[in-house]
Amino acid sequence: MNIYLPIAEMSVSVVLFLGLGWAVGFLSGLFGVGGGFLLTPLLIFMGIPSAVAVGTGSMHIVASSVSGAIAQYQRNNVDIKMGFVLVAGGVFGSAIGVGIVRILRDIGQFDLFVALSYVTFLGAVGALMMIESVGTIRKARSGQPVSTRKTGQHSWVHGLPFKMRFHRSKLYISAVPPALIGAFVGFMAAVMGIGGGFVMVPAMIYLLRVPTNVVVGTSLFQIVFVMAVTTVLQAVQNQTVDVVLALLLIIGGVIGAQFGAAAGGRLKGEQLRFLLAALVILMCLRIGWDLVARPNELFSITPMLGVVK
Amino acid sequence: MRTKGILIGVTRMAACLCALIVVSSAAPKVWSLGEEAHAGPARIDERRTKARTKKQMGPRRPSGTRRPEIKAQAPQAGPVERIEADVSTRSVEVTTAFTGHEILVFGSIDNSQQPGDESGYYNIVVVVEGTPEPTVVRRKSDVAGLWINTSSVIFASVPSYYAIASTRPIDEIAGPNVLDKHAIGFAHIKMTPVPSYQWSFGEEALAAFKAAVIRLKRQEGFYIMEARDGVTFIGRSLFRSTIALPANVPVGPLVARVFLFRDGEVISAHIARVTLERTGLERLLHSFAFRYPFAYGIFAVLLAVLSGLLASAYFRRAVR
Repeated sequence: MNIYLPIAEMSVSVVLFLGLGWAVGFLSGLFGVGGGFLLTPLLIFMGIPSAVAVGTGSMHIVASSVSGAIAQYQRNNVDIKMGFVLVAGGVFGSAIGVGIVRILRDIGQFDLFVALSYVTFLGAVGALMMIESVGTIRKARSGQPVSTRKTGQHSWVHGLPFKMRFHRSKLYISAVPPALIGAFVGFMAAVMGIGGGFVMVPAMIYLLRVPTNVVVGTSLFQIVFVMAVTTVLQAVQNQTVDVVLALLLIIGGVIGAQFGAAAGGRLKGEQLRFLLAALVILMCLRIGWDLVARPNELFSITPMLGVVK
Repeated sequence: MRTKGILIGVTRMAACLCALIVVSSAAPKVWSLGEEAHAGPARIDERRTKARTKKQMGPRRPSGTRRPEIKAQAPQAGPVERIEADVSTRSVEVTTAFTGHEILVFGSIDNSQQPGDESGYYNIVVVVEGTPEPTVVRRKSDVAGLWINTSSVIFASVPSYYAIASTRPIDEIAGPNVLDKHAIGFAHIKMTPVPSYQWSFGEEALAAFKAAVIRLKRQEGFYIMEARDGVTFIGRSLFRSTIALPANVPVGPLVARVFLFRDGEVISAHIARVTLERTGLERLLHSFAFRYPFAYGIFAVLLAVLSGLLASAYFRRAVR
């Protein structure tokens, strides 16, 4: 059974895309990640135009994060004040990102930019996660305690102006670093179609020293709001949000996530992180290969977006 | 009497041609054809002979028998052949369930003089085209180990879709000039680069870009050449042809042009139109997204929130 996507303007197999949503949902349930970094490249591999993949990805992330964000809020795991600083930065970053998507599409370098961004971030995050998880697995085997969090340390972050008191996080720090982190994540959200949790969570833990119990809730809070704004901006500026495609992915994803979460319960945290790191690195290599391998077809065609000069 | 008949024929032909040729520069050529016709049948014969020897027509009519045949037919030139055609579906609807469509182009030749459907006396070419649109062609090259788009050409109008069917391979039907004039065949599609690009690239480079457009459009399934016998005759004057619209056909009005050829020249042509429109939910969503993008964005977010919440309410235990 096929369905015609109104924005991507192509006829696709319903089963195939439900399956894709399922697979990404399974992995995100398994690893407890948003899955945007898996979904967007997979959509591009399937032939969805990269701009549509990115735009639709942001809508998919809203759906997959909203229930988690509400649950975290109900458990009082969200630092609302920190969340708003992150969102404010995020909206700013996202607006810049969406504008850049437009410019890059016009000059024909969007695909390259997306690919380079993915290679860079997936490569860096994958490598760091791999090193960390291997270290933890070794320590666990040799019987050492696994806890690593240090408190009370001061870094350059504490010397910045505009200090604010974040009660829930028990922090008194400048608003600049969270706003910058938010802006960076918002920018990545617009350009790469990812929620950015895998950048935001470590940044909050290691740079801002936000307690681990609030990190996930607060980052989910930021992701939902920023991705919602990004979805609207992409729809307005680039007309690249395909609701039919998004619904297929959401339906598949919701079911897949149940199986993933069940499977994830049987593995240890560091083992999961090791597997996730391997997956991220594979993804990075796959995208990187397309950049360096001599393509079979050097030419590409696209209909003009704007008016011919 | 005879000259009058030819004259009427020529004017009819010219009118037909004028109507179908969009590019104004082709108009003088139509008149020059008229002038040649005025010069008398002998001249036309000469032209035909030249065209024939160059193109090596099929074995059905060996060169020895050709000349008398034309001479014998010359006095009958009074009733001029005219082609009339139509399409089976005047409007094709693109819905969410659209998986492609096949349109039947059919018609007949008035005053057909061919003895039967296998005679090869006439040739028919059917061309179905989508809306011409400005298209960017980009070329990658190796920049420090990375394959990056480095040069581009904008063609002002490239048909979004182009399907061709004919009674025999088109280069056997007519010479390149005739094909060029009517934009028949992939290689003869009119693609003009936007002026600024014309200056910055040489002829060869532009030809490579143009070839790339055709190659990529064929790969995507937007440029289609129906297999041999794409157009078949049924009896002396009826003909039919099927043209495939792929599932991802660019939406927009289609123009079907039907040409009647005899001896390498177009002697009559007919135009039929097909509308290809989005309908139902498909149309609703597309126009919503492009006309009210802000409202569409809000709608997309609400839909995402709603589906996310419904899903988690259904799988309550999933919430971590």
